Amino acid sequence: MNIYRHLTAGVKELVRRNKTESDLTEELNAYVQNSADAKVQAGVTPEEALRAARLELGGVETVKHQVRAVGWEFALEVFVQDVRYGVRMLLKAPLFTAVALTTIAIGIGANTAMFSLVDAILLRPLPYPDPQRLLVAGTNQLGESQMSPMGTADFLAWRDRQHSFEHVAVLDGAGGSFALSGMGAPERIQGVGVSADFFSIFGSAPLKGRGFLPGEDLPGAPGVVVISEQFWRDHLDSDPNVLNRTLTLDGKQHTIVGVTPAGFRFPPREPVAVWAVRRLNPPTARPPFGLHALGRLKPGVSMSQAQAELEEIVAQVNAQYPSSTPLAGVMMPMKQWMVSEVSTALLVLLGAIALLLLIAVVNVANLLLARATVRRREVAVRMALGASRKRVVRQLLTESTVLALLGGVIGLLLAYVAVRAFLAFGPGQMPRLNEVGINSGVLLFTFVVCVGSGILFGLAPALETSRPALSDPLKDTNRSSSSASAHRTHRALLVFQVALALLLMIGSGLLIRSFVRLSSVSPGVQTDHVITAAISLSNKYSEPQIGQFWKQFLEKLQAVPRVKAVGITMSLPPNLLEITNPFTVEGQGYDPRRKLQLAEEMSVSPDYFRALGIPLIKGRFFSPSDRVEGEKDPKIVIINETMAKRYFGAKDPIGGRIQTGDPDPSSPWETIVGVVGDVKYSGLDSAPEPAIYVPYNENGWVGWAWQMYLVVRSSGSAQQIVPSIRAELASLDATLPLAQVRTMDELLDESLVQQRFRTWLISGFAGLALLLSAIGIYALISYSVGQRTREIGVRVALGAQRGDVLKMVLREGLNLLLFGLLLGWIGGLAATRVMRSLLYSTSTTDAVSFVVTSLTLLAVTLLACYIPARRATKVDPMVALRYE
Amino acid sequence: MGDKNTALVQGTLDMLILKTVALESMHAHGIGLRIEQISHGVFQVNPGSLFPALKRLERAGWVDSEWRATENGRRAKYYVLTASGRKQLKSETRDWKTQSVAIARILEA
Repeated sequence: MNIYRHLTAGVKELVRRNKTESDLTEELNAYVQNSADAKVQAGVTPEEALRAARLELGGVETVKHQVRAVGWEFALEVFVQDVRYGVRMLLKAPLFTAVALTTIAIGIGANTAMFSLVDAILLRPLPYPDPQRLLVAGTNQLGESQMSPMGTADFLAWRDRQHSFEHVAVLDGAGGSFALSGMGAPERIQGVGVSADFFSIFGSAPLKGRGFLPGEDLPGAPGVVVISEQFWRDHLDSDPNVLNRTLTLDGKQHTIVGVTPAGFRFPPREPVAVWAVRRLNPPTARPPFGLHALGRLKPGVSMSQAQAELEEIVAQVNAQYPSSTPLAGVMMPMKQWMVSEVSTALLVLLGAIALLLLIAVVNVANLLLARATVRRREVAVRMALGASRKRVVRQLLTESTVLALLGGVIGLLLAYVAVRAFLAFGPGQMPRLNEVGINSGVLLFTFVVCVGSGILFGLAPALETSRPALSDPLKDTNRSSSSASAHRTHRALLVFQVALALLLMIGSGLLIRSFVRLSSVSPGVQTDHVITAAISLSNKYSEPQIGQFWKQFLEKLQAVPRVKAVGITMSLPPNLLEITNPFTVEGQGYDPRRKLQLAEEMSVSPDYFRALGIPLIKGRFFSPSDRVEGEKDPKIVIINETMAKRYFGAKDPIGGRIQTGDPDPSSPWETIVGVVGDVKYSGLDSAPEPAIYVPYNENGWVGWAWQMYLVVRSSGSAQQIVPSIRAELASLDATLPLAQVRTMDELLDESLVQQRFRTWLISGFAGLALLLSAIGIYALISYSVGQRTREIGVRVALGAQRGDVLKMVLREGLNLLLFGLLLGWIGGLAATRVMRSLLYSTSTTDAVSFVVTSLTLLAVTLLACYIPARRATKVDPMVALRYE
Repeated sequence: MGDKNTALVQGTLDMLILKTVALESMHAHGIGLRIEQISHGVFQVNPGSLFPALKRLERAGWVDSEWRATENGRRAKYYVLTASGRKQLKSETRDWKTQSVAIARILEA
C-alpha cells in the first residue's frame, strides 16, 4: 500500500478525531439497528431482537478500540498519552524530578560536550573534497615505526618519479613566523613555507585570487604569498583589491596572490596568517629532514600502492647517498597524521565521561527504584483494570525516557556553554578546533544517549514495579515483602556504581601522579628571573652583519642595569628544539647499518649557560675570544653530560673530537672544550638525549643565527627589564619585532598545558563520580534504615546497644562497598592500560594510585553511610513499634 | 449468535468483503449477512473483525464510504468498491485461485 496515503490518512484521522469517533459510534448504532431489523423480519420480538443484536456486537468500546488500533496513529496516540501521563507523574514529585534532572543533565551535558570534540577532531572527515585521498608521506630509519619528516632529496625524487598522486607538495616542518613590517609597528605573524602545489592538494577554491602556480617555487622566482581570511580581515580591513598588494615579510617584498576561505587551517594546530613559497633548492646532502610531504591520490589508487611506490623511490635515494643512513618511505592518511597525538587523550576523556554518565544513570535508577514502592499501588490498580505488564512497562519506560530527554535538553545547554568555555580557555594547541561545534551529528548522539539512558535507568525499576506480586499490593501497607527484590536490584546497582567510580578515580589518580612527577622534572636550568624572547633578523642582513648585530646587541644588553647575564640560542628549553644532527665520535668509527646517532645541536653565545644557570661539569664555557676575526677558527663544541657518559664513558671527553652532519670522513673535526648539565629541549617528558653546543658566530653557524632566542637573567622583574630590551633592539634596528616574550617559568607552564588540562578534567569527573556514589550509598542506606525502622525498634527493645545497631547498619554498607571496590580494582587493572601513552614514568598499575583512591572512596562513602546509621541508633523503640 | 464461526484464513476476510461490495454498495451489517448467506453459514463475520477490516480497506483506498438511508428508512454507512479496490480484488482472486488449485492438487495426490 501507498505509504503516502497511509500517512495522510493517519494525519487526517488525528486532526478530525471527534468526527471519526462520532462516525464510528453512529455506524455501530446503525449496525445494531440493522441487525435488529433483520431479526424482527425473521419473527423475533423487537425487544428481543435489539438485545440479541447488542450481544452480537459485543462490547462497543472493545470494537471501537480494535478499529482505532488499525491505524499507525493509534500507537502514536498511546505514546502521547504515556508522555502526558509521565510528565504529570514527574510534576507530582518535584523533588525527585529536580534531583534526577540535575543528575542526568550533568551526565548528558558532559557527554555531549566531549562528543562534540571527538566528533569534530576524530570522526568527521577533513573538510576538503574527497578527503580520503589526502595522504602524508615521510621517511624514517629502517625498523622505526614513527614517521619523520622528509629531506629535500627524497621529496624531489618522489615528486618527479611518482605516478600515484594528482598533486604532491611539502609543508615546512619547522613552521615558523615572519616579521611583518611596513604596516605600523613591526610584528611577528604566523607563517609557513609550502611548495607550489600545496593548495591544489586540498582542492578547495580560494576566497579570492589563486593558490601558487607551478614554477613559483623555483629558485629566483619573485616572492608571492597567500594570506588567510582572518589576516585579510584583521590586517587589511577586508580590502576588496587585496590581490597584488605587497607585504614586507622578513624585510622582503611579497605579492599577495590569494586569500584562503575562512575555515581553511593547515597545518591544523595554529592559525596560519601567511603561506609563503618554500623554495626547493637542489640538495647537496640528504639531511636536513624537515619537510612534511603531502599528496592527493589519483582516483582509484590505493594507499598501499602509493606506499609501495614511495618505498621504491626512497630506496633509489638510499643508493644515491650511500654514506647516509638508509631510510624507508612511510605514508599515512592525512587525518590520522593530524589527530594521532590527541586521539588517545580524547578517547580516554570520552571513556571517562561515559563512565560518569553510567554512574549518574545508576543514581537515577536507584531513585526510581526507591519510588517503585510508592508507584506499586498505582501500577497494581492499572493492572487490576486490565493493563498488561507489557503495557505498564512501556508506560514506565516512556516516563523514564521523558525524564532523560528533559535532562538532555538541559544537558545540551550545559554542553553548549562547556564547549564555548573550552574553546575560549582550554588548551588551544589542538588540531581542528575551529571545526568544533554542536551540529546535527552531535544532536543525534545526544538524542540516542538520552533515549538509551532513559531505557537503561528505567528498565530495572519498571520491571520491579510491574512485577506480579505474591501478596496483593492493593492491600499493602507500608512494609511489604515485595520490596526485597527491589532492594536487591538497588544494591547490585550500587556495587556497580562504586566500581565505576573507583575506576574513574584510579584513572585520575594515575594522571595526577604522572602530572606531579612531570611538573617536578627539572628542565636542567634555573628558571627564576629569566626572560626569553625571539628575534629574527630580516634577510637584508649578510652573514658578517648578523654576527656584528648580535655582538653589539649582547654588549648593549649586558650594560642594562639589573641584567646579570645575556645569551642567545637556537633552541630553548623545555620544548623549543630546532634541529638534531648526526654525529661521529673520533675513534669509534661509523657503521652505516647502525641506527644513526643523533644529538640535539644548537648554536649559542658564550654567556648562554650563565644566563640559564646551566651547570658546568668539566672544562670551560665558550669565551668571546674563541673566535678571532679573520682567522680560520679551530672548531670547538661543548657537550652535555648524557653525551659524555654515553660516548666517552670513563674517558675524559675534554679534548676529544667529533664530527657532525652526515657521516663523511672529510668533515672537519670539532674539539670538545666543556661538559655541561643536561637540559630538556624536547619536552619535560623526554628522555635525556646527547646535546652539542657550538658558538653561534662560528663559520657555518652564523648564517643560522638570523633567528635566535634571547635569554636574559636579571635581578629585576619582567616588567622592568622588557622595555629596556625593546629599547636596545629598536636602537639597533627599529624594524625588528621582539616576539614571544615569556619568562622561563611561563614557558614551562605552557609546555604542560595539555597534560594539566586533561588531569584537571579527569580529576573533576572523578570528583563528581565520588560525590554521586556517596549520594547513591547515602540514599540506599537511608532507605534501608527507613524500611527496617520497626526491626531496629524491636532489636533496641530487646536490648541491642546503640553500638550494635550502628555496626549492623554500617556492615551492610561496608559489604557493598568492599564488593564494589573489588570490582573496581579488577576493572582498573584491565582498563587503565589504554592510558599508557598519557602517563609519564608512572605504571598503569601504580599501587599508590590504586590504594589511595580506594581508601578515599571508602572513607567518603563510609561517611555517607554513617549519617543514616547514626539516625538508626536514635530509633525510639516505642515510636518504631507504633510505626504501623 | 451460535459460535460455529469457522476461522477464516488470515487475510481472506478482506477479500471476501471486497467481493461482497463489488456486487453492490452495502452497509456493515449487510456485508456480514451476505457473507454468511453466500457461504451457507460457514463463515460468520463477527463485528470485532468486520469493523477493523472495513477500516483497513478504507485506509487502503479500496473501498469508499457514504452515509445513506436503508430500505427500512434508517441511516447507515454504505461501502462502495473503488477502482483500485477492483484491481486489488482481481489480483487477490487470481492469487487465491492459483493457490487453492495447487492446494487441492496436493491434497488429492
